[in-house]
Amino acid sequence: MLESHVRPTTQPRGASVRWRIGLRSAVPYLYLAPALIVITLFIFVPLIQSVQISFYQWNLLAPKQIYVGLDNYTALFTDERFFTVLLQSAYYLILAVFGNFLLPIGLALLTLPLKNRTVAVFQSTLFLPTVVAVNIAVIVWRWFYLPTGGLFNSLLNAVGLPTIGFLRDSSFALVSVSLVSNWKMLGFHFLIALAGLRAIPKDYLEAAAVDGAEGLALIRRVILPLFSPTALFLLVITLIRALEDTFVPLEAMTRGGPSGATENLMYSIFLEGFKFFRAGRASAMSVVLIVLYSGLIYWQFRLFERSVQYDR
Amino acid sequence: MIVSARARWLSLAILGFATVLVVLPFVYQVGISFKAPNRVMTDAIAPFGFPISVANYQTILRDMPLPRYLWNSLVFSAGVTLGQIALALPAAYAFSYYQFRFKNILLALVLVSLTIPFVVTYLPNYLLLARWKLLNTLPGMILPMLGASLGFSIFLLRQNFMSFPRAITEAAMIDGANSWQILWRVVTPANVAAIVAVAVYILINTWNQFVWPLLIGGGDKNSYTLTVGVQLFYANVESGEEWGALMAASVLASLPTFIIYLVMRRGILSTFAEGAIKG
Repeated sequence: MLESHVRPTTQPRGASVRWRIGLRSAVPYLYLAPALIVITLFIFVPLIQSVQISFYQWNLLAPKQIYVGLDNYTALFTDERFFTVLLQSAYYLILAVFGNFLLPIGLALLTLPLKNRTVAVFQSTLFLPTVVAVNIAVIVWRWFYLPTGGLFNSLLNAVGLPTIGFLRDSSFALVSVSLVSNWKMLGFHFLIALAGLRAIPKDYLEAAAVDGAEGLALIRRVILPLFSPTALFLLVITLIRALEDTFVPLEAMTRGGPSGATENLMYSIFLEGFKFFRAGRASAMSVVLIVLYSGLIYWQFRLFERSVQYDR
Repeated sequence: MIVSARARWLSLAILGFATVLVVLPFVYQVGISFKAPNRVMTDAIAPFGFPISVANYQTILRDMPLPRYLWNSLVFSAGVTLGQIALALPAAYAFSYYQFRFKNILLALVLVSLTIPFVVTYLPNYLLLARWKLLNTLPGMILPMLGASLGFSIFLLRQNFMSFPRAITEAAMIDGANSWQILWRVVTPANVAAIVAVAVYILINTWNQFVWPLLIGGGDKNSYTLTVGVQLFYANVESGEEWGALMAASVLASLPTFIIYLVMRRGILSTFAEGAIKG
């Protein structure tokens, strides 16, 4: 899902143009009610239920719920496997910072000397992977990664290198999965970076050029400082999305394997709930996820908030 | 900007190289789908094989109930898109044109809903749909998806409504239109472009959903969407001739969103970029 690519700016809007109708009537609440009910029912209630279920031992196959207090949590934090999953989640975040934060920004900076029409071609083409379903796009990647008969190993063998088990060897599998999700999101993040660069007023660049700034100095001293709000936004969504974006490639390629080497926190929650039917443990992991992500979530919320122009 | 010709060529070369790498999977995807089935695994490096063969397409069209999957994907995507627009329009309208108590709190709540990781809501929603006996049905797939990115639709529409000239809505009110009429006869028609952009965005997103349709509809072949159907069709291809047919299926499954993108490329890119910059 692509929904939160929103960067803050403030639009000047005087209080005088703000228009008021139907002050203190029920009308606005009626307009809002259907949407708020749907959001509450399918997002907030499940969130609260997850917290609640996390205090129970509950095998979905034998639906008897036993209250166990914090047992699910203590079980998690005494389980070495869980820490491995957390560590692997961190690897995904690091890889995403390279592939979906630094790389798109670098590519966007490279467009500076190019004509708009040329940039448009790169932009439309790089965006292509965003448009297709991840699990469908993954099919060709699975073939790329095949031990025999696939593209990558055929290439390796052609130049005399040994076969690599891209998805079967636990030292390669995580990177292989991450590569697919980074490929998928690159064009979208490139688009955001490009839009951020274009929002820099031309006068600034011209004034800096008149002052003699050019090339890398221009980028470092003038462009990057003005670009930093976009960079911040990109970093936040990169970190927030990193685990979500690997979710489908994981389900469609490795299912977390080989022996758990590609699992991350989000995918583990899914496995616990829907493959092992341990609802309590899955929910406890959900709560841990929310807590670990709360800083980022709050950060993202602030970025959103700055751009929605609350009424004062 | 003043730059040397060398810098320009270097930029072009690097960007061109990156673009070729990004497009490469699509080249192989299409290429393999048109290879003769028995040659898919033998000469892997060449993306295209000659003579071109449509055998893979014949196989997939024979073996896979494509019309059924296509129909399910269509109903699922259209249901979510229309539902979300119908919910988001009045909400965005209220958030842009009205002053009321708790407005900022409710708006904040809408934004918070966007930041909840989807995986947290899967299990409770699944259990809810099981209680409502909606598993393996299209309504079951559609309902929770209505909430999934609703906050974002409200948010994007509100941004557009906020920049819509107040003089026009004021004039309509002086002419005696009530707020319901202003919403549907003034604000909606005037913002059609923005609404369509948001709708296309939801449509593409929903069409490409996989995990949720798999969880809800995976139990019954008749409720597979295209993404689920293609995924489960050859559950365990590892070698052999199925790869060609699978690639043909993946090409066919990608076509609808691909075509929408080609036709509406400008609009889609600028909506996304606009959302990113103007907020």
